[in-house]
Amino acid sequence: MTQRNNVILIVDDEPDMCWALEYILNKRGYVTCKALSAQEALELMAQQQFACAFLDAKLPDMDGLELGRLIRERAPDMRILMVSGYFYRDDVSIQEAIARGVIIDLISKPFLQAEILRVLET
Amino acid sequence: MGERGTSAADSPESQRYQQLYDMLLEAIPSSVLLIDRDLRIVSANRNFLEKNRRTLPDTIGHRLDEVFPAIIIDQMDFPGRIRQVFEKNFRVKGERMTYRAPGIPLRIYYYSILPFSWQGVVELAMLLMDDVTEQVRLSEEVRRVERHLASVVESAQDIVLSTDMEGQVLTWNTAAEKLSGFTLYAVRGHNFSDFCAGDDQGEMERIFANFQAGREAQMAEVDLKTRDGGRIPVSWIFSPMKDHLGQTAGIVAVGRDLTERRKFEAQLLQTQKLAALGVMAGGIAHEIRNPLAVCSSAAQFIMAGDLDPQFQKECAEKIHAGILRASMIIENLLRFARPSVKPDIKELNLTTLLEETLSLVTNQARIDKIVLQAQWPREPIMISGMEGLLQQAFMNLLLNAIKAMPDGGGLGVALGQADGEAWVRISDTGQGIAPRDLDNIFDPFYTTAPVGQGTGLGLSICYSIIKQHFGTITVESGAGQGSTFTVRLPLL
Ligand SMILES: Nc1ncnc2c1ncn2[C@@H]1O[C@H](COP(=O)(O)OP(=O)(O)O)[C@@H](O)[C@H]1O
Ligand SMILES: [Mg+2]
Repeated sequence: MTQRNNVILIVDDEPDMCWALEYILNKRGYVTCKALSAQEALELMAQQQFACAFLDAKLPDMDGLELGRLIRERAPDMRILMVSGYFYRDDVSIQEAIARGVIIDLISKPFLQAEILRVLET
Repeated sequence: MGERGTSAADSPESQRYQQLYDMLLEAIPSSVLLIDRDLRIVSANRNFLEKNRRTLPDTIGHRLDEVFPAIIIDQMDFPGRIRQVFEKNFRVKGERMTYRAPGIPLRIYYYSILPFSWQGVVELAMLLMDDVTEQVRLSEEVRRVERHLASVVESAQDIVLSTDMEGQVLTWNTAAEKLSGFTLYAVRGHNFSDFCAGDDQGEMERIFANFQAGREAQMAEVDLKTRDGGRIPVSWIFSPMKDHLGQTAGIVAVGRDLTERRKFEAQLLQTQKLAALGVMAGGIAHEIRNPLAVCSSAAQFIMAGDLDPQFQKECAEKIHAGILRASMIIENLLRFARPSVKPDIKELNLTTLLEETLSLVTNQARIDKIVLQAQWPREPIMISGMEGLLQQAFMNLLLNAIKAMPDGGGLGVALGQADGEAWVRISDTGQGIAPRDLDNIFDPFYTTAPVGQGTGLGLSICYSIIKQHFGTITVESGAGQGSTFTVRLPLL
């Protein structure tokens, strides 16, 4: 078991997206764990605790926001971030999810490494 | 009743002639006056008396100028002419005279003045007058109606022309001259088919053959040649022209220039296409920004420097692959979005066309958690058609299927060939179509989608595109049972 506070969950059905996020985070010293579907993510959640999750908006089996809600139910303290090319900042559903505390923020694809790290380190 | 002052002989034989003469005189529908050298009236028949509302006593023995108005006498120069008749045995034939007797409406006569000579001497002048008022009025009316009809035909915006049974042009109105640039003079007597666009001439000849076989009205879209070498699309109605015996004497064709309508149709297609693109936009954005995000990250890793050469190569490869993927998506999109200015018919493989079309909606389907199931036949399915239009038709069916499954489901695409036809089946496990909507879904602007999410044009455009390709489109569905649309197209 890794130390609970710096393990980060990456959920994206695109392996290359996971590759990029993993590299950014690992280089900074974070431990990561990846899931290619919502199902996989929930299974991982059952096995261990995560400090933070990066979720894609559209997963093959579930919407990212829906997964966010399920995660929030299980882990009220987890920092959840949406990384997506589908939504834009002012989208009603994003605004609502932020207001309700489901996610902390939306990071649009493509993104800068700094954006990913900033949300973790503030 | 005539006057008999001049008849002397009272032999039974001459009495007989006299009676016959009187009878003839009374019976003919002309006015007859006998006039002597002094321009006095010697005899007047009943027709004259009735027409002029005169009696024998106030006519016989009176001078011409007491019976006819002075103006007529002067205008027609009756005295002069009658004198010529007496002196030169001269006959005046078929002159026209407009006669207005006091208290009676205007009348028009044709008159002749004939000499009556006995033993070489002109004894009397016979003035014969035929009332042609009715005929003149009728023929003027006929001319007026003719002029009116002609101006109706001439001022029509539509082409109006007529041909004989063999298809040789008889008439050709101004609209036809304007649109084609050929004058009536240039086309009269020529085969109408010669003025139809080359690939439509066969069709035109078939239409004439049908008329010869006794067919009634026919409709067709046949392009007209223009003098400057172009062609105009025209929608025609051909009707047999019947004579008074009910026999077909020729053919009348009324044609409407479709250029504007074609333009409008093209615009409508484009508008609908853009609406379809709107539906796809979310999927497209997602699909393009994913590879962009991978490229961007890999580029940032390289820029940060100090990389293991193996990893650096990996980054470059990811960038390359991502760019290829994004541009593929854009390429497909462009191909779909670009208006097909002059859609040309060519041989195409329906399988390839459907694969390409499906690839455009794959992203959208994935986002909506829809599982695609395609059955591609191994052999190519060749048809002839307009690629852009067919793609638009199938795209509409696919997008409708996707829209019908907002919570995910299965989208099936299958195609094959049977009985000289290619068939394509697009099925979904969506909400289905209620029986009362089934009759209407192909109507333009019929939509059950909320405002802003459907134009109701998709299926009507599908229908017209498939019809243009001589195919059919059918649907099987019930509320809650999913829907299956089947398109059939003739094989090459
Ligand atoms: N696959 C389908 N499943 C259920 N309903 C459909 C399907 N395809 C078409 N329809 C119905 O037919 C209507 C007309 O379709 P269409 O002409 O494409 O217009 P639009 O998609 O803009 O509403 C739709 O509003 C919908 O009610
Ligand atoms: Mg539609």
